[in-house]
Amino acid sequence: MRRRSASPYLFLAFPVAILTVFTVGPTLLGLALGLFDWSGSGPARFVGLGNYRSLVHDSRFWPALRNTLVFVLLSVPPSVFAGFLLATIVQARWFVGRTLVRTALFLPTVVSIIAVGVVWRWLLDSAGGLLPRAIVGVGFERSPDFLQGGPIVSWLPWLSWPMVSLIVIQVWRTAGYCMVLYLAALSGVNESLYEAAEVDGASRVGVLRNVTWPEVAPMTAFLMVTGVIGGLQVFDIVWAMTSATETDSTVTLNLYIFREFQQSRLGYSAAIGGVLFALTLVATMLQLRVMRRDAA
Amino acid sequence: MSSRAPSIVTRLAAHTLVYAVAASMLLPFLWMVSTALKTDLQALPREAAGESVTFLPPGWPWEWRWGNFADAARAVSLWDFYQNSLVAAALTTLVAGVHNALAGFALAKFKFRGERAVFWLVMSTMMLPVQVSFIFAYIAAGRLGMVDNIQALVVPFAASGFGIYSMKQAIASVPDSLLEAGRLDGMSDLELFWHVVRPIAWPTIAALGIFTFVASWNSFFWPLVVVDSVHSKTLPLAVAELSAGRYVQSWPVRMAAMTILTLPLIVVFMIFQRAFVRGVAMAAVKE
Repeated sequence: MRRRSASPYLFLAFPVAILTVFTVGPTLLGLALGLFDWSGSGPARFVGLGNYRSLVHDSRFWPALRNTLVFVLLSVPPSVFAGFLLATIVQARWFVGRTLVRTALFLPTVVSIIAVGVVWRWLLDSAGGLLPRAIVGVGFERSPDFLQGGPIVSWLPWLSWPMVSLIVIQVWRTAGYCMVLYLAALSGVNESLYEAAEVDGASRVGVLRNVTWPEVAPMTAFLMVTGVIGGLQVFDIVWAMTSATETDSTVTLNLYIFREFQQSRLGYSAAIGGVLFALTLVATMLQLRVMRRDAA
Repeated sequence: MSSRAPSIVTRLAAHTLVYAVAASMLLPFLWMVSTALKTDLQALPREAAGESVTFLPPGWPWEWRWGNFADAARAVSLWDFYQNSLVAAALTTLVAGVHNALAGFALAKFKFRGERAVFWLVMSTMMLPVQVSFIFAYIAAGRLGMVDNIQALVVPFAASGFGIYSMKQAIASVPDSLLEAGRLDGMSDLELFWHVVRPIAWPTIAALGIFTFVASWNSFFWPLVVVDSVHSKTLPLAVAELSAGRYVQSWPVRMAAMTILTLPLIVVFMIFQRAFVRGVAMAAVKE
């Protein structure tokens, strides 16, 4: 039975204050700040949509937006799908060493992204990194510059070597997390569904496609939505891999927001934040809608 | 999952694939440790050093240079970074654990004016990106005297929407009859929380605690914004600067520092991996 008393106010006062002062309030003010010109001290000047109009002509903003979208589109679906495939193998009764594999694959989720990024920076370093050397070692004339190189092929100018490195590392890093969550989802699937499919003579791939995949659809939805939200806001890994060698070929929205903040162009920084906020909202709603339609 | 076991060839191929992926997760960390034990020359055998570029530099350091660790400790105030990260993560876990649980208790088991408003406030905070809020959160922190110190890393996380929501869900399953019995025994609401709710909700409290600890330990964006001076820096901030070559130039020494910074968490994770997976994965696993 739920009760009336003063206790709930006592229990909630501090948490609500914290959430209001550090999250909800600052978000509302931040969205409003996008309409002002402000350096952090002195009066703010109202400029209406001026900041957003400047964004349209900003030669730094478009690469940031493009890179962010490329990063999300090329990293999220592969890691979710890889996680699914890995989980279906690891979950099989005949699989040996489940705990070991789960521990190894979860490691990059627990270790700081910054640390992971730094180690990769060393692995890919053009002067002494393991991978560039291995490539030269097996007989190629020279290795691509994974951290500062240009486009991979001339007709895809937006897909540079550093961008590909970031995407591959992101897939590598998050596939294990997806696998662990899929394992949890798979353990809830009713065994009799598989047996029924087998009685019907379904092939192994058929069972995977027509029984397993639809059964874990809610988890797929969860991983896609949270993956896209996280991807749109990507910061840590980009910082760890590119700070000090930053160029337009890897700058992302979030990094640009932070750089503008450092330059004390707070209104402009907040306007880019507004764009990111809108993107997050649209992506989330779009995906939830698609998922709901598929589920129906 | 299938009752028909696939052929031995398929099974072997599947194991090989999965183990290769698992090995790729460990390789970077092994490479980090092996680099940490090399001399500069072993790490970078270049033409400049009078050597031809050979295939892979030997992964195994052929002359173990433990001195890199001492050099790293001398160049970087590792202990300070450790202490800052540890204190911030432990305090956040403790303070947020108490507040999230009490707030979850209030939302799950009490009727009060403004309940819906509070619930939606809590829910909305889960969806608001920090990149929009950080400017004024930073200003608020500054007004409250929380810039460049441990409080700045703890207080803003002393409650979280996700934490409160998880606790509300967990506490909702505590039987009302137990709470009523406690009340008849004359327990106050706080005593009820401690003696009745806490034991039953403990698995969620523990999982949430691990989640909070890992999130705080690894957090980067907010510390980057609020921390300035070197004595308040946390491990990830220090690691990022190490990577850019701020403290030391030598890669082996940098990797030695990295090893000191990351290995303890890796070891703790290996020991408590089940609890970690539960804690970090709880966001999705409990639907």
